[in-house]
Amino acid sequence: MRETLVVFRRELRSYFLSPIAYVFGVLFLSVLLLLAAAGSIEQGAQASMQTFFGLLPWLCLVFLPGLTMRLWAEERKLGTIELLLTFPVRLSSVVLGKFGAVLAYLAFVLLLTLGLPLTLGAYGRIDWPPVFGAYVASLLFAGSFVAVGMFWSSLTRDQIVALLASVVSLGVLYLLGYPALIEMTAGWLPATAVDLLNGLSPYKYFESIARGVFDTRDFVYFTCFCGFFLYANVLVLQVRRQSRG
Amino acid sequence: MSLSVNRRPQCHRGPQCHGGPQGGAALALVLHVVLLVLVLGQIVYLASRVRVRVDLTSDQRWSSTQSTRLLLDKLDKRLVIEAYFSPKDTLPVTVREARVWADNFLDELVQIGRGKVVLQRFDPNADKAVADRATRLGIKPLNLRSQSATSLSLDQHWLGLRLVYGGGKQKVIEQFAPVSSFAAEALLTPAIKEVLTGEKRRFGYIEWPEIAVGSQTPGGIGWSVVRTHEGISKRYEFQNYKDEDGALLPSDLDTLFLFRPRDVTDRQKYVLDQFVVRGGTLVVFADAAEYALGQQRTMTRVPFQLDASGSELRFTEQLRHYGLDWRPQVLADVAQQAYAPRDRLRMPEEYLAVVQPNAMGFRQSVWVPYPYFFHAVHKDWSEVADELARTSDGRVDAAIAARYREVFGPGMPSEEFLFSSFQKIGRGPGFYWPTWVGLREKAAGVPDLPAGVDGRVLLWSSPAVLAEDPPQSVDPVGRDPRAAQSEVTKWLGKLHERLAAEPRQQAPLMVEVRGSFVSFFDGRAVPKRPSEIKEEKARQAAGEGGEGNEATPGNPDEGPQPAAPSTLGGAEKAAAQPAVTTARAPGRIVLVGDATFLRDDVVRGDLRQVGGPFSGMTAMPFFAQLLDWLSEDRDLVDLQSRAPVDRTIVLVDADPRPGADPRLGEQQLRRKTTWLRALNVLVPSGILSTIGLIVLLLRRRRKQRFLASLPGRTA
Repeated sequence: MRETLVVFRRELRSYFLSPIAYVFGVLFLSVLLLLAAAGSIEQGAQASMQTFFGLLPWLCLVFLPGLTMRLWAEERKLGTIELLLTFPVRLSSVVLGKFGAVLAYLAFVLLLTLGLPLTLGAYGRIDWPPVFGAYVASLLFAGSFVAVGMFWSSLTRDQIVALLASVVSLGVLYLLGYPALIEMTAGWLPATAVDLLNGLSPYKYFESIARGVFDTRDFVYFTCFCGFFLYANVLVLQVRRQSRG
Repeated sequence: MSLSVNRRPQCHRGPQCHGGPQGGAALALVLHVVLLVLVLGQIVYLASRVRVRVDLTSDQRWSSTQSTRLLLDKLDKRLVIEAYFSPKDTLPVTVREARVWADNFLDELVQIGRGKVVLQRFDPNADKAVADRATRLGIKPLNLRSQSATSLSLDQHWLGLRLVYGGGKQKVIEQFAPVSSFAAEALLTPAIKEVLTGEKRRFGYIEWPEIAVGSQTPGGIGWSVVRTHEGISKRYEFQNYKDEDGALLPSDLDTLFLFRPRDVTDRQKYVLDQFVVRGGTLVVFADAAEYALGQQRTMTRVPFQLDASGSELRFTEQLRHYGLDWRPQVLADVAQQAYAPRDRLRMPEEYLAVVQPNAMGFRQSVWVPYPYFFHAVHKDWSEVADELARTSDGRVDAAIAARYREVFGPGMPSEEFLFSSFQKIGRGPGFYWPTWVGLREKAAGVPDLPAGVDGRVLLWSSPAVLAEDPPQSVDPVGRDPRAAQSEVTKWLGKLHERLAAEPRQQAPLMVEVRGSFVSFFDGRAVPKRPSEIKEEKARQAAGEGGEGNEATPGNPDEGPQPAAPSTLGGAEKAAAQPAVTTARAPGRIVLVGDATFLRDDVVRGDLRQVGGPFSGMTAMPFFAQLLDWLSEDRDLVDLQSRAPVDRTIVLVDADPRPGADPRLGEQQLRRKTTWLRALNVLVPSGILSTIGLIVLLLRRRRKQRFLASLPGRTA
């Protein structure tokens, strides 16, 4: 745990010291809030964060791989990974520390969007519990994307490859749960396969929490999803460490 | 997280080792991943079977209502739900979603039924005997096309339910394919209630068909949509009691609806009088005038008479006798909160809109401010007394403000459950060209109700209401679409001018009186039935006048006498009952100041394409809840009143002052919207940029200090 915390602090500090995190944050916030505010702040509209949480997954899909691509690929490029792998720390601690730091940074960025629900609450009767639920769901959802992005980053030295692989895999994964695509695939895939693929996608689990229903099933899904990819990440690093040892 | 792969597999067989150390590690890796996937898959599967679900929404939008819970609490026998469902994976995707909603709701029912609700599942696709049984029960399969990579077939899919209560009473739902949790509950809970109570309540009604306008065919538009709607017809039964021969209404009828009465004969008035005096509930949806709608929306007045020609008594007088005051005037509410649609962007045609081409050339509906279409607002109007009492120089007239505070009250004062959902959304049902329906008053607005009768107004307009005798035309737009905007502005300007010149008042829109009514015909001649008049004329013609029928009006103490008691049939017996002059049981009259909002074309949205009006959003819930309210049936009120809480964003309040320029309000709104949006985008980005900038400067400074501190370097 201590090792994890050490890595977490180091990583988090590096985020707040590097300009890329600010560029990412400002861009992410500007695009998200510009679109969400235009769709939500309107006389006669309902005081709801539906537009915001409807846009968030798509922006995560575009922006998060940009944040995760460097997590391991840069370490490899700079050669610092060799140093890291020789440290007497468990690799799982390193992976969890890095993962936690990205999530903490994202939580900070999401915190900055609270102005929107506050504005809506000032001019309409916003329902706060589902909004908080949706923020938690967003963090879980973003966490699952970060886990996938980290995994791809650990596989390659090239950040662009990591970025593209993340965007494509996350896009496919997300769209697997998209109703229009399910409709399309249902024509040429067996129903069980469609159900299975649909069940793999974070889409429906995010939708469920974001609309204001706390279901243990959704939390278990996100925990398992993140757990799987983080574990895979550890395995990749382990293999790398062994190949050097 | 411990890793067993840390222990690298050792091979002791040298070069003969299969795959070598690298191969062993890879195998272990693959095994790890496969095992992990299996374990996680199992966890997710188990989590979906054993789950805890909490609805975070404050109005419990995604959970079953109190109605369903209370209903299940009332079960004293076992309710068996037989679900005849095809397996989920064989269903087409479009139906699979419905199946998920159905399963979720049925599971929830079993959970909250605490042993009293038993769910039995049958698969008609797997067993032909089950399919035959389902067909015999009346469950209808869905015949849907399914398509795979290699085939195309037409399959039968089953989604039916049979409810059996206590082994006896049963109810079959042919197809249970809800599109949401709301829909699942709205379909199943009334069915459970029906199987529990076993009978439907009966209501009577009389309606008068639409009047012919130009080439339009009369009689085509009625009030049948609200009566025959699935959610209503499942629980209530309606029977038409319009009898041209004026037979009295049967004694077992509790409630009678009059949909837009017109040409009411004296005999009909007598029938209605006897109904309320005997303890019946009369509900009148009244219109003071008929205006042409249709695709042209000319909005010109159509000749309309409340009392039939040759009628000696006036219907309004009759209502006045019971303590009601129906002034056949048309009302317009000039307060913007009262006439603006709930969502003027997405559904401007709720009240009135014009269809215009937008900048892209597409046709779109643009809302038209039209104060003749409005609703009661859930607001205490005494709170705006100061605004209303403001003079043209901006000063508040304290005396007038004090009087307004005393006189004006809430738009929806009643705590009855009929209005609870409407109060949640902040407004009552939308009315179109409503009319003044209040309590009979003495001077200074003091209610003047008959002895033994209580009354109350249930809905009020805002204090910015105008009442007038029905004008010939109420068209704000005119015939030239290019001049529509200027016409509307001119038209609104005139209304505001009128408002400024007239005293402020609130108009009653819905009223109720209940108690022991004395007959309006007490001391009056009982009107004859048309058949009696005809017979009398025939007898006179044959020289037999004066014999037989003794029910000749003239002796009010005696009341009407049966025409020929020995030969009467059922209906004639009812017609021939002696007049009751004093109350036999407490009666009730509810007068609603509009009938148009419940009319078929307006409820169905036939006019949406041409810009409205469309009352579908509020008329149906209002009518359904009215039925529950009249039946004093609270069981399903939570289900019916499941309207979302009003969360409408009000960036700029409408100026309640008469004569206020709406353009100023629009400008203020535009400014505020732009400002708030910009604030929401720029502040968070600005905070992050500032932090980034500070960090950058601090780092640079630290670097410079460090460089300066190096030996041989100066700052």
